[in-house]
Amino acid sequence: MANFNTHFMVASVASAIVSGTLLSMEVLSPQEAVYAFGLGTLGGLLPDVDSAHSKSIRVGFNVLSLLMTIMIIFVKSSTYSLIEMFTVAGLVFVGIRYALLDIFRKISKHRGMFHSIPVALIWGIIVSILMQYLFSLNSLVSWVYGFMVTMGYFVHLILDETYSVDLRNRRVKKSLGTAMKFGKFKTTKDKIQTIVIYLAIPLLMSIAPDTTLVQNALFSHDAWITFKDILLPYDGRWFIH
Amino acid sequence: MNKRLKLITLSILIPFFSGCIPAPTPQISLGGIGTGVTRNNRVENQPIIDKEYGEKPINYINAIRSYCSNKIPRANLSQYKYGTPKRAYKRKGFAYGGAIAWRGWLVETSIATPTRTGKLLTPKPYMFLFKGQQVVEHILGYSHKLITKVDR
Repeated sequence: MANFNTHFMVASVASAIVSGTLLSMEVLSPQEAVYAFGLGTLGGLLPDVDSAHSKSIRVGFNVLSLLMTIMIIFVKSSTYSLIEMFTVAGLVFVGIRYALLDIFRKISKHRGMFHSIPVALIWGIIVSILMQYLFSLNSLVSWVYGFMVTMGYFVHLILDETYSVDLRNRRVKKSLGTAMKFGKFKTTKDKIQTIVIYLAIPLLMSIAPDTTLVQNALFSHDAWITFKDILLPYDGRWFIH
Repeated sequence: MNKRLKLITLSILIPFFSGCIPAPTPQISLGGIGTGVTRNNRVENQPIIDKEYGEKPINYINAIRSYCSNKIPRANLSQYKYGTPKRAYKRKGFAYGGAIAWRGWLVETSIATPTRTGKLLTPKPYMFLFKGQQVVEHILGYSHKLITKVDR
């Protein structure tokens, strides 16, 4: 299993490549590309959130609690007094960072369904929904952000699977197949969990932003033409334009 | 309460709850959107002012083109197709309270932009939000969860 630093580094490199490409293809603006890079990196740390004492869970809950606290301040700054605002913001921060984290640690199980392909997709869909409803972003940018989280998530799962093959001793570790899986089917509880996760996908898609724009921007003939255009120098001269 | 009184009370209340009472005739302040003449026989290019949505943009084509010149890459080489102005409103993102942030006229426009080597791409849909005769915002796509189009 890869450690926190490896996951962080590889997810950052992958996110930098993808967000840089999207910037060059004029799918994202420079500012949006920076956010996309951040979300891709965060996506690369998300799967280990189910590990009770990992760095990922601390980083994840720090980011979430700070984000929610800032959001409360944004929303209530015009109506609340300073004392009210700081009290509520403090409660939200402590509630998420400590109380919710404690509950989450008790109920989650490492290498459970968090390390699976459908959950990677669900994170992407949830991020795209939140981006449109919470921050009013357009459908394309919302989906690109969701795509970045899923991409980072997949990078993490692939890395975990890669590390379960020991090339020096030429053996396969026990952990092979526990990271990149379609579901868990051992016990009845596992089966129910898997079914619920698969049912959540169409339900979330029904409230998700329109996918037409992201299909056209990333997975169409036009996207391919644009990619070919930016791949090599358009005037045939290298580095001197 | 005696039977007759119950009957009268019920006969008054039931239509209210079942929707049998005819709705009041809508007060139309606008008309003939997209047609040449309004219901009051006013000519289309005279300014139409809606109480809630403000002045309908007349010269929206020029407004969109000048707005796009510094928002969309290679806007002057692009091909535009314009829809007609529609009344709409937009809510703020729920992170910012979700209140109505804009109410006015929206023009759907498709813009085909060329790549940097000049190849024309498939047109992209945009919504341009107007306040009076000015474009105040553009949104990629013809739909957004926080935008409600009043006119279809």
